[in-house]
Amino acid sequence: MNSGVEVIKLRNVTAGYKTTLGFKSIFKHYQVVLRNINLSITRGEKVAIIGESGSGKSTLLKVIIGLLKPIKGDVLIYDKQIYKLPWRERVKIIRKIGYVPQDPYKALNPLLKIRQILAEPLEASGLDDKTIEQRVREVVRFVGLQREILDATPDELSGGMRQRVLIARALIADPEILILDEPTSALDVSIQAQIINLLNDIYNKLGTTMITVTHDLAVAQYLADRAIILKEGTIVDEGSFDQILSNPRSEYTRKLILSYYVTTFKTVE
Amino acid sequence: MVLAIRAENLKIGYLDEEEEQVVWATRGVDLNVEEGESFCLVGESGCGKSTLASAIAGILPPHALTMGKLYIFDQLVIDDSKRNYNGIRGKIVGLIPQNPGTSLNPFLTIEDHFYYVLKDSKNMNKSESRKIAHEYLLKVGLNKDVLEKYPHELSGGMQQRVLIAIALASNVKIVVADEPTSSIDANLRAQILNLVNSLVKEFKVTLFIVTHDLASAGKICDKIAVMYAGRIVEMGPTSIITNKPRHPYTKMLFESIPILGWKRALNPLPGEPPNVIEEITWCSFRERCPLKIEICNKEPPLMLTDENLHFTRCWRFKEVS
Amino acid sequence: MLLPTYYSRIIYRNLKKTRFKIGVGISTIIVVLAIIAPLIAPYPDEGYGYIPADAGERKLVPPSIEHIFGTDALGRDLFSRVIIGTRTAVIQAVSVIFISLIIGMLIGVCAAYFKGIIEITLNYFIELFMAIPSIVIALFLRLTIGQGLHVVIASLVITWWAWYARISYVYAKSVVELEYVVLAKLSGLSALKIIPRHVIRNIFQALTVQAISDLGSALLEASAINFMGLGLPSGFPEWGVILYEAITERGIEAFLRSPWLVVFPGILILVTTLGFSLVADPLREDLDPRLRRRWKLWF
Repeated sequence: MNSGVEVIKLRNVTAGYKTTLGFKSIFKHYQVVLRNINLSITRGEKVAIIGESGSGKSTLLKVIIGLLKPIKGDVLIYDKQIYKLPWRERVKIIRKIGYVPQDPYKALNPLLKIRQILAEPLEASGLDDKTIEQRVREVVRFVGLQREILDATPDELSGGMRQRVLIARALIADPEILILDEPTSALDVSIQAQIINLLNDIYNKLGTTMITVTHDLAVAQYLADRAIILKEGTIVDEGSFDQILSNPRSEYTRKLILSYYVTTFKTVE
Repeated sequence: MVLAIRAENLKIGYLDEEEEQVVWATRGVDLNVEEGESFCLVGESGCGKSTLASAIAGILPPHALTMGKLYIFDQLVIDDSKRNYNGIRGKIVGLIPQNPGTSLNPFLTIEDHFYYVLKDSKNMNKSESRKIAHEYLLKVGLNKDVLEKYPHELSGGMQQRVLIAIALASNVKIVVADEPTSSIDANLRAQILNLVNSLVKEFKVTLFIVTHDLASAGKICDKIAVMYAGRIVEMGPTSIITNKPRHPYTKMLFESIPILGWKRALNPLPGEPPNVIEEITWCSFRERCPLKIEICNKEPPLMLTDENLHFTRCWRFKEVS
Repeated sequence: MLLPTYYSRIIYRNLKKTRFKIGVGISTIIVVLAIIAPLIAPYPDEGYGYIPADAGERKLVPPSIEHIFGTDALGRDLFSRVIIGTRTAVIQAVSVIFISLIIGMLIGVCAAYFKGIIEITLNYFIELFMAIPSIVIALFLRLTIGQGLHVVIASLVITWWAWYARISYVYAKSVVELEYVVLAKLSGLSALKIIPRHVIRNIFQALTVQAISDLGSALLEASAINFMGLGLPSGFPEWGVILYEAITERGIEAFLRSPWLVVFPGILILVTTLGFSLVADPLREDLDPRLRRRWKLWF
């Protein structure tokens, strides 16, 4: 499965936000969130980026999907420096990434029908309506939803169904990379397990590269083979899940794993 | 044993948006919590667990509708539509709210927070309340400097500790905690849970925790009640519930929690909790139940119990585990 | 289409409230009156400002069966003037609000969507126009262009659009941060498609409610400009002008000796403004549940 082609590569990326305080924004004041991140993800990998709030994991995600230009460093997607391209060209590359945002309650326009929401990524591709409709139905069946929901609005759907719609939306343009931002944190336990199983199903059937950003080690264990642990904007630990669990390299990882065991009723047999 | 909380067929509901129908959040809860126990109410969102917690803490909104009875230390606080929390709210029952960031007034120092609470419940003046505040802050692991600070100067974990101290400072006998750890990071979660647990043992208060996190519930509580669609479907001592669940819903919950270091196949049942407005006269779990038989469609199951006080609301409980 | 059902559901839901019913009733009556005014006015010519031949004999007649609202200092039937004035009132209020809403919404949404230098420039521009009172603009236009309906509308629009721009900017700012706009951008859609579909659609309800509740204030301000003699010429059927004429001709006596001259146009201004507010108020509650009252007053 691991063909060794690097799909995403970050070299010495430092990123942050401009502090917009009136005229100060003319000068470049930055609040640095990520420091010297080096990262490479090969095709067909399942990676989890793990960090607590404030660790910079959502900033890292913004950098990868082309929304935040890093202060310095290179971001390569399919060997192209996306931030050196104009937005039009950049979007053509980013369209190969299926992005599932964090909050299923804020990520769907409440005034559109599910059909319109799902067809949106295909609009720029110039396909005819019939093909789009066919593709929409295919994807909806694939994520385990009924066809009737196509005529519903997001308000009529439950949290789990919304999350499935978002996954379907990400899959509709045949992405080669799937990026999931906290895919289960807004969901209940049983729905969370359904979504985890669905995502693993997708991975097994389509073989997309899957990147999960999460704070939950236990969820990450199901959605990734490799873990990258972020703390205060730097990568403190990286490696396969088994290795991180049995032999964590940094003190922070050990603390994270330990605190998880303390709050769980059954430790491993 | 003295019963701290006793609910008899308690129903709480709200009017829907058009103000035509009543949406029942809890549909008849029978509940006994003994004094000194730590009791945990587990359920998914929308099952009515937060409504039940606010009924016990006395913070139901005025437009809520109630039926049935709720006793707190033998004082009747909800008697059908009558509600009377005098002498209970803040004096016998304290609350640790869900979101520490929005539960503290940003314009008051921590000292003032203590003062206003203690003035109301125990008629204290400023210097007395300061002494008490100091004492309780030490107990939750904070030092004296915190007293002069404003809430935004504290981290999320510290804010939660302050709230715990405030809840305990007025010598309440019952502490209701509504998802106390849901907005805190994982490594703080362990600390806060351990803190709550040790304080509860120290002050001998009754703890009523509401959570969606079955994993941490099993870790700290003596008793667990599982709620589904407004009813308690299973209730009993933690060790029995975690080892031998008798309701298919509880069993399914345990099979779908991801546990670190133990990568077994997750086994969730398809479907989602029902969203019904009318009275449920069948087993509310029938749509998702793998063991469904004829009787499940006709009658809601009774609450059955055994010698371990393990209550189950399922017709086929014997076949589950 | 989705939108009409969405709006009809909102209206249906609000029709249960007595306030909303009263408001809709008043507003409907005012609009119907505006349409059929020339048909029901007993002396339509006098309504439009024509001074009758027998003006000398019927000056300042108090309300009677022949002239239910009495007559003014030039002998014109006040009822006809007030009724035909409804038409001017509705045209003024609706066109001011409509034009301001369109201009303001486009500029506000653009300021929120295109960040950076466009945002800063447009915001300063908006603030500049918010700083000028409309009376000053009316004075300026009165001196340069002259009198007329277009002067009143223009002087109000020049300041009012900035308020709508500011409101749309604030609403749109929270919408453009939402994930569905980000997702749409990432799938390569152009701003021309994203703005109407995601941004304007989602702020439109809030803006409409704001616009409806502003109809009353627009009418008041237009009347104020006319009352000062800055807008419409004397003799034009407009409530502000009728008051202006009464005060200029009769001075303080208008209140004491012939009160019908000020009372009837005043009452109509009041009732119309109230009607528009009663429509907008329940809609605003519906939009923002925090404003909703769960207990019932007398209505």
